[in-house]
Parts: sequence; C-alpha cells; structure tokens
Amino acid sequence: MSEETGPQGTGGGHEVSAATLAHGVLVVPAGLAPRRVEAGGLAGRVLPPLRGLYRLAARNFPLLLLGAIVLSLLGVFLGWGRSAGGTVLLGEQIRNALVLGAIYALIAIGYTMVYGIIELINFAHGDVFTLSGFYAFLIAGWFGLGGLATGSLGGLLLALLILFPLTMAASGLTGMAIERVAYRRLRDAPRVAPLITAVGVSFLLEGFMLVKFGPDNVTTHNASWISGQAFNVGGVSVGVKDIFIVGTAIVLMFALGAFVRGTRAGKAMRSTAQDRQAALLCGININRTISVTFFIGSALAAAAAIIYTINYGVIQWSLGFRFGIIAFTAAVLGGIGNIVGAGIGGFLIGMIYVFGGSLAGGEWSEALIFAVLVLILTFRPVGLFGIDVATRA
Amino acid sequence: MGWLLPWFVEPTSSGIGFSPQDAVLSAPMGPGAFLLYVLAVTMLLLVLSPLAEIAARITKRPLPLIADRVRLVAAVVGFVLTLVVWFLIRVLNEEPLFGPIDSHTVTDSAVWLTLYGYAIAALVYGARRWVVARGNVAFGAAAIPFGVLLPFMFHQAPDFLLWAASSLAIYMLLALGLNVVVGFAGLLDLGYAAFFAIGAYACASFASPTHHIHLSLWLLIFIGAGVASVFGAILGAPTLRLRGDYLAIVTLGFGEIIPDLATNNVFGLTGGPNGLSSIDQPRYGPVNFGTNPQWFYWSVLAISVIVVIFLRNIERSRVGRAWVALREDEIAAAATGINTTTTKLLAFAMGASVAGVAGAFYGSLVTIVSPDDFSFAVSVAVISMIVLGGIGNIVGVILGSSVLTLSIFWILPHMNEWSMTVSAPGKPLEFLPGLATVNFTQYTYMVYGIALILMMLFRPGGLLPSRARRVELEAGIESESLAAVQGRA
Repeated sequence: MSEETGPQGTGGGHEVSAATLAHGVLVVPAGLAPRRVEAGGLAGRVLPPLRGLYRLAARNFPLLLLGAIVLSLLGVFLGWGRSAGGTVLLGEQIRNALVLGAIYALIAIGYTMVYGIIELINFAHGDVFTLSGFYAFLIAGWFGLGGLATGSLGGLLLALLILFPLTMAASGLTGMAIERVAYRRLRDAPRVAPLITAVGVSFLLEGFMLVKFGPDNVTTHNASWISGQAFNVGGVSVGVKDIFIVGTAIVLMFALGAFVRGTRAGKAMRSTAQDRQAALLCGININRTISVTFFIGSALAAAAAIIYTINYGVIQWSLGFRFGIIAFTAAVLGGIGNIVGAGIGGFLIGMIYVFGGSLAGGEWSEALIFAVLVLILTFRPVGLFGIDVATRA
Repeated sequence: MGWLLPWFVEPTSSGIGFSPQDAVLSAPMGPGAFLLYVLAVTMLLLVLSPLAEIAARITKRPLPLIADRVRLVAAVVGFVLTLVVWFLIRVLNEEPLFGPIDSHTVTDSAVWLTLYGYAIAALVYGARRWVVARGNVAFGAAAIPFGVLLPFMFHQAPDFLLWAASSLAIYMLLALGLNVVVGFAGLLDLGYAAFFAIGAYACASFASPTHHIHLSLWLLIFIGAGVASVFGAILGAPTLRLRGDYLAIVTLGFGEIIPDLATNNVFGLTGGPNGLSSIDQPRYGPVNFGTNPQWFYWSVLAISVIVVIFLRNIERSRVGRAWVALREDEIAAAATGINTTTTKLLAFAMGASVAGVAGAFYGSLVTIVSPDDFSFAVSVAVISMIVLGGIGNIVGVILGSSVLTLSIFWILPHMNEWSMTVSAPGKPLEFLPGLATVNFTQYTYMVYGIALILMMLFRPGGLLPSRARRVELEAGIESESLAAVQGRA
C-alpha cells in the first residue's frame, strides 16, 4: 500500500482505489473518500503531537519499559494500591500483567511481521504457538531435559540452551512450511482467499493436536524448572521465573530489532514490506524473504510457548485460538505491521487483561479484550499511534 | 459414488462388512448368485465410468455415443435388481447370499442409497443433455427426493435421524444465510455463529420454563429472525467502513463476545455456562416433534425451500444486484447511486435473520442451548460448507452443506464401527490392529481445515462455482497481474 489510508472499500476494488486516489484521478463520493489519519476532527488535532511523542517513545522503547517496571516496582514499594486486607494487590497484578504481556508481545510480533510483509492476518499463528508448546514438550521428553534442568543451575541453563533453539527451529520450519503450502500460491489472489486458507490451516493444526495429544490439558513438567523468589518488594514476591520470562521476551525483542535494523536479511524484509515490486526489481529474493519472516515469527511464537509452559505448566490443543486473537489484538493496538508497536501492544493487552479482569471480574477479561479489538479496528484501524511505512517491519 | 459406501462400511450382526466380494466368495451357484453378479457388474460399470470420462477428456477422444445408452441400461437394471434383492431379503425373509441380517443393522439405508445412486445414474446418462443444459433444475430433481426421503432411508437409526438429518437441515439453513453475507455481498463474516446463538437463545427464552413464557415454534421463528436481524444490523454497523480482512476479524470478535456474554449470564437472561434447558417441542396430536424428530427435519427442509426461493428472488432483485456491485467495487457502486450503508446493513440483517430461524429450530430440537454450541467451530463449519460448495451459488451451498454434514455426522461416526469391524482378529485388516482404536470423529476439525485449504488452493470457486463468480475469478487474475505490472499490487 502506498500510505496509511483509513478504512476503505472491501475486497477487489481496494488496490485500484488506493492507486487512483493517490493520483487524484477518480472523483469519489464524499462519504466514501478514504480518510487519511491526519484528517480533521478531534483525532486530527490531538494525534500529531501524540505521534511525535510516540516516535520518541519508540526509539527509546526498552528504556521506557525498564522505566515503567522500575516505577511500578517503586510504586508497589511505596504502598500504592494496598488493599484493606493488607495484600499488595496492585503490585501482584502488575507482575502478572508483565508476565502475560511478555507472552502476548512475542506472539503479536509474529502477527505483525507477517501482516507487514504480505498483508495477511495469519490466522494459524495462534495454533503455531500451541503446536510449539507441544514441540517443547516432546523435545524435553526426548532429550530428558526434565532431569537435567532440575539438577543444578548449570544443568538448567544447558536444558534451556537445548530447548529454546530446537523448539524455535522446529516451529520456524513449521511456519515456513505453512507459508509455502497454504499462502504462497494465493499471494496475488483476492485478499480474502488466503485468509480463508489461514482459517483452514488453523483448524487443521488444531485438529492434528486434538488427535495427537488428546482433548485434555497436557502437563508439560517444566513448570518446576525455575523456582524461587528473586526479591520481595513491599510484600509482592517476584519470582525468578517472572524475571526470566520478562527478561527472555525483552532480549528476544532486542535481538529481533537488531536483526531487522542491522542485517541484510532485515533490510530485505523492510524493503519487501514497503514495496514488494520495487524490492523485486532491486534483486531481493521475495520468496526467501517472506519465508524468513514466517520463520522468525513462528520462532518467536515458540519462545512464547516455552515461557508459557514454564509459567503455567500445561498446554491444551485449543489454547492457541483465543490466545492468538488476544495477541492479534495486541498487534492491532500497537498498529499492525509495526514491530515495536506489537511489543508495546502486548504489554498493554497484558495490563488490560489483568486489570480489566480484576475490575469487572475475571470471566469478563476476554470479552473485554475482544471489545477492545472491535473498537480499535472500527475507530482506529491503524492502531493507537498510527504508523508510517518506514517504521513497518 | 458415496452411495456405494454403505455396502462396504455397514457392519452386520455377523460382524463382517457387507461387501460384494465376500458375498461373491461365499455365494452358492444358482439364480441368487447370478443376480448378485449382474448387480456387481452394473455397479462396477457405473463406478468406473467417471474414470473413463476423465480418460476420454485427457486423451481428447470422446466416448462413443453408445456409452451413455449402455450406462443407462446398467443403471435401470441395477435399480430393478436392487429392488429384487431387497424384496427377497426383507419381504420373503430369504437370505440367499448375504448371511443373517438382523433388524438393528442399517442395511436398509444401503439399499435406499443404492437405489438412489442408480436413479441418479439413470438421470445423468439417460437425459444428459437436459442435465447439462438446466443444471439447477436437474439438481433439484435429484436432490429433492433425497432430501424428503432421507428420514425413511435411515428409519432404523434414530440417532442418525436426530443428529445427522436435522443437523444437515439446520446447517443448510445456516449456510444459505451466510451465503447472503459472504457470497452475495462479499463481506467475510467469521462470527456468524453469534446470530445462530441469538436466535437460539431468543427461542429458548420464549419457549421454556425459564421465564414462564411458552410461545409456539412457528411464532418463535419470526421472533428469532427479527431479533437476530436487529443484532445483525447493530453488529454490522461498526464494520461498514472496514476492508475485507479487518471486517473478518471484527466479526470474529463479535462471534467470541456473544458466547462470552452468554457464559457470564448477562442481565440474568442466558443461564450462564449451563445455558437454558427444557425448551418446548411442538406437539399437534399425533405429530409429536419430541418423539419423532423427523418432523423437525421436514419443517426445516420446508423452511429451507422457502428461504431458497426467497433468496433466489432477492438475488435477482435490485438489492441483489446492489450487493453484487458492492462486492465488485464499492466505490463504483457508490458512484452509481447505491446507498452502501443500507445495502451492507441489509445483507447483514438478512443473513442474520436466516441464522435466527435456524437457531430457533436448533433450540427446539435439542431442548437445551448452552454457550459451547455456538463456538467459532460452528462459524468455520458453515464457511467451509459455502467454500466447498461454491461461494455465492445457492445450489452449490446446498451441495456443500450436504456433503460436509453427511461426512461429519454420518460417515466419520460410521468409520469408527467399520474400523473396529474390519480390524478384528480374522477379518481382512487384522494386521492393522491400531485401526480399531482410531476415533474418526476426532478428525472433524481436520476435515474442515483440509476442505478450506484444498478448495481455496485448487478450486476457489467451489464444487459448483456460480457463473458470475467464475467469470470474476478469471477476470480477477487478469486485473491482478495488470496491477502487478503497474506496480500497484
């Protein structure tokens, strides 16, 4: 797409309309003119300065995140949100939200990368996440990592060093295979066609997991790998596990950022996302670049699945469906196609999930997230901040 | 060829699959055996003839004209012989060839289906020109007897009646409704189960002890349709400005929110995770829907026929043409004076109202509605049916929903019995003992997934593509590549 335009017509007319409008050729009925993000109204007045702020924030995202964590910990330490019973509710919720947000963020990045590069909502991504959880379970079983990890600290590190790369590679290859089989042929088809195959792949994977691993929760045995309390701030116990989870997510996001910004493959990815035809003309191997994107997205989902099982210790065949939609909401919240935005969106969704759940009752958390999804897509499909093409993927 | 399946898969009381080759091996010489051989020859001929057609198409040497005549004769002879064999077994209680058959087997369904298969073959090969020229009429001629007689075919298997036949009819209705939104107006709706749920809950509220209201089902289908269409318009409104894939996700969000609301017992109306139970079933003297669920089947079928007639008319009306214009190019449609807002909302409302009717019947059929019945899997099932049959083509949608529901609710469960039978010790596949433990119904999800993927990759128009859609697909490829050349894709 040429630039960020607002929501437009459906289906086939889309490409034509975008192109003609950009050249101002076609006279469009007023009610249908695609709205540019900058267009008037309240949004137009409030958002440009916000976007400047966002750019600043995006550049210093890790610092900001660190700052937010420190601030919240400080807040907890000072006793904000201490409930009458003396339990430190707020602090615990921030901790939970960060852990959950780390998982959502890693999955959301996969959605956003794929959307950035081929404009496809990769519906199967949530199920790739679940499948990776089972991969991790199988790999841990084959290599006997359970005994290794619970023995000593060195053993634990070794087990993690075996588990993470193998699972991520397996999941990445799965993602590449999915792209090759189900999406590549339809790259130039109407937009809805690959979306339907994506739903098909999602159901195929879910059905496979149902048949292979059964309908019940599967205990992955790695919840006990990392235990103990790292520190206690004002009554909130922060476990080593929590730090490991959030830390892993942040390290991986840094690594991804470095990859996208610093390597040739990352450059190819960015240029393919910007303009596939032009990238092709510059000699970039589009198919390989898209495969690499799927590999990385799925590998990050695998990392999310490992930290999910380390945190919760169970996995179930249908987990990925709702988890996937929630992570997709995170990607939309941050501006789909925008990797940093997906990272921020993941943590935001974690917050909404946990705090919304505590305010309205836990059973409303997911409905709340879906409502956020609907609202964001309806009123600000470009996400909270709006994005320009340069920051995409 | 599906009609042949029961001959192979139905287990009989003797434990063995009812298969012609077994029968041939154990057959005594005599007139009975001769009947069977002739029957087998006609069957083989008709089964192999599609292969011959494919071969003829590949080698570009058309089959001789006499081929049709031969196959017509084979079909008629087969039809008559099947009747004779059935007569020998059922009426005269002679069991010349097939071993003991007790009344618990569903061999009658095999006979029915075989007769039906022969009749279809006779229709195709006897009146080929008519079938080709007036495809929809021919489809109706073939499908309506099947549809109406379905409960009789399976009168020995009440569980089939309740689940497969009624599910078939309800899913067909759902597919017809979703086809309005996806096929006619081109709006991909991934949360269609929400409207099904709304219809079912509306019916459950007005015809159960929950609120002490007991309305007639015939009133309820209008209430279900009305409530669902209002919700369709309400939920459709925010999506008006959205593109294809965003629209899909927003509708998916609604499709998840509605069951969540039901689970959380919103306003105390939905009964929480357990749902609403003891829903009334209609009863008019001897016609008792509760004990004879085939009345549900016939009612839904009759409603479906009305809906089909209604939708076909609306497809050709001003509104229908507006939908097509909207699907093809929204901006051009608006430029020609179509009010895109009302047109889209009308599509949503109309699709939702059909789902509401289906929901009312569903609630009344199963007598209990709970949030789990309206999960995303239902939406995907309905979309799979449309995609399989042919997006936008009513006949295709009917075919797709029949094929998928029959395979999900009938063939897969029977595969369980079949696999257990044939892999038992001493049976043909005893070297595969694992086969008995395979639970084929678990593969439902994979069937939907594979159907969606394969159809989209290899036959995006579906089994019976609508004519407009076929033209559009070919034209679409052209304009896409043009866009690619100009660097706009």
